[in-house]
Amino acid sequence: MPQIDRLLRGGSNADDPISISASFWHLVVCVVVFGGSYGLVMGAFSGFTGDHGLQLLFSCIKAPLLLLFSFVVSLPSFFVLNSLCGLRRDFGEALKALAATQAGLTVILASFAPFTAVWYLSSDNYQSAVAFNGVMFAAASVSSQFLLRRYYGPLIRRDSRHRWMLTGWLVVYCFVGIQLAWVLRPFIGDPSSPPQFLRSDVFRENAYEVVFRLACHMLIGN
Amino acid sequence: MLDWFRSLDRLLRGEATDTKTLLRGDIDVPLPGMTVLIILLGVTYGLCMGAFALMRTAGPAYMQVSASMAKVPFLFLLTLIITFPSLYVFNALVGSRLRFLSVLRLLIAATSVTLAVLASFGPIVAFFSVSTTSYPFMVLLNVAMFSVAGLLGMGFLLQTLHRMSRIDEAIRRRPVEPIFDETGGTPLTATSEPVARELSPLEMPSGQLLGGHVKTVFRCWMIVFALVGSQMSWVLRPFIGNPDEPFTWFRSRQSNFFEAVWHAMINLF
Repeated sequence: MPQIDRLLRGGSNADDPISISASFWHLVVCVVVFGGSYGLVMGAFSGFTGDHGLQLLFSCIKAPLLLLFSFVVSLPSFFVLNSLCGLRRDFGEALKALAATQAGLTVILASFAPFTAVWYLSSDNYQSAVAFNGVMFAAASVSSQFLLRRYYGPLIRRDSRHRWMLTGWLVVYCFVGIQLAWVLRPFIGDPSSPPQFLRSDVFRENAYEVVFRLACHMLIGN
Repeated sequence: MLDWFRSLDRLLRGEATDTKTLLRGDIDVPLPGMTVLIILLGVTYGLCMGAFALMRTAGPAYMQVSASMAKVPFLFLLTLIITFPSLYVFNALVGSRLRFLSVLRLLIAATSVTLAVLASFGPIVAFFSVSTTSYPFMVLLNVAMFSVAGLLGMGFLLQTLHRMSRIDEAIRRRPVEPIFDETGGTPLTATSEPVARELSPLEMPSGQLLGGHVKTVFRCWMIVFALVGSQMSWVLRPFIGNPDEPFTWFRSRQSNFFEAVWHAMINLF
C-alpha cells in the first residue's frame, strides 16, 4: 500500500527526475492485479451462476491484457523515434513514467469498481452497462493524465522534445488500444448470449471502420 | 552481426553523424553490414505486412508471406540502385566534394534508418494484419507507415549531408581555422568536447555552409526516390495480398500506385 500511495502522489521531489520507487516489473504486476480486479467486476454483469462465471474470468484476463499489449506493441516505434530525436539517454526514465501512469490508471479503475458494482445492482440494461463502463474508463484515463504530467513533466522541462515524443506515444497507443479493445470484446457479457472470450465476428470489421460508418450515419444519414 | 546492430544504434543515436565523428573522415558505417541489416529489417517488416494473408477466410496464403518478406528489402535496394547513378552524376556536376563511396555510405545509412523505423512499426502492422479483414484499411495503413519511415529517413539524409558538406567546406576554405560545433558557438577541435546540447540526427546544424546546388540536387533526388519507390512498390505488388484474388508473385501492368491509393481510400470510406 505505501508503494501504491507513492505511485498515486506522483513525483513529489522536484530535484529527483522521476521519483518512482517501484521497479518497472512491480508496475507491470500492479497493472495485472488492479486491472484484473476491475475486469472481474466488469464481467459480473450477467451474474456468477452457471457459465456466466466464465465471463468474470475472461474480463479479468482481458482488462490488463488490453493495457499491456497496447503498451508492448507501441514500444518499439517509441524506442526508435526517441533514439532518432536524441532522447535515448532518457528512454529508461520515459518508459518508467509511462508504466507508472498505466499502473496508476489501473489503480484508479479499481477504485471505481464499487461504482460499477452498484450500477449493475441497479439496472439490468446491457447497453447502459456498456456505456457506464465506458465512462469509468474515460474518467480513469483523464485522471491518469495528471499522473502522466507529473511523471513526464521533469523530462519535458529537461528537454522540450519529450513533449513531441509523448504526443506521438499517446497517438500510437490510442490507435492500437482502440482496435485491441474492439477485438477483445465482449468485456461485460450480454446476458442473452453465452460467455465468449472473443466474438465470433471479431474479424469482420475493425474499430475505425465502425466508428467512421457511425459518424457518417449521424452526420449524413442513410 | 552484433557490431552491425551497434553501428545501426550509433546511427539512430546520432553518434555516427555528429561533428566530431565526421571530422575524422567519412561517415562511419560498414557498407556490407548495413546492407545485411537493411535486408533483415526489410524481411521483418515484410513478415508483419504479409501476416494479413494468414487470416484469409479461404485459408492462409503462406506464399504471400514469403513473397512479402522477399519483396520489402528488394524494393528499397532496387530503388536505391535505380536512383543512385543519377544522384552521383549530378552531385559531381554541381561540384560537390562528396565522393562515390561517401554518397553511397550516406544513402545506405539513410536507408538503414528508414528500415529501422519501418521495422519498429512492424508490431503495430502485424497486430492490425491479424485483427482486421479490411484490405483497403491495411493498404492505407502500410502506405502511412512507409511514408512516415521514408520522411524520417530522408530527414536524416538531409541533416547528415548538411553536416558533411559544412565540415568539408570549412576545411577547404581555411583549414587552420577551428570548426565550430552545431550551435555555432564553441570551437570544436579533434580533442575538445562540445558544451552545447548534442543535436539529434534529425536536427539542422546552425551556420551551415552547404552549397545551394548540392542541396537542390539532394532535394530533387529525394522526390525522385519517393516517386520511383512508390511506383516500384506498385510494380512489385502484391505485398499484402488481396483476399479476393489468388496468390501471384506479380500482377499485370495496369494503373499506378497513386491511383491505387486513391481507390483504396474510396473503398474504405
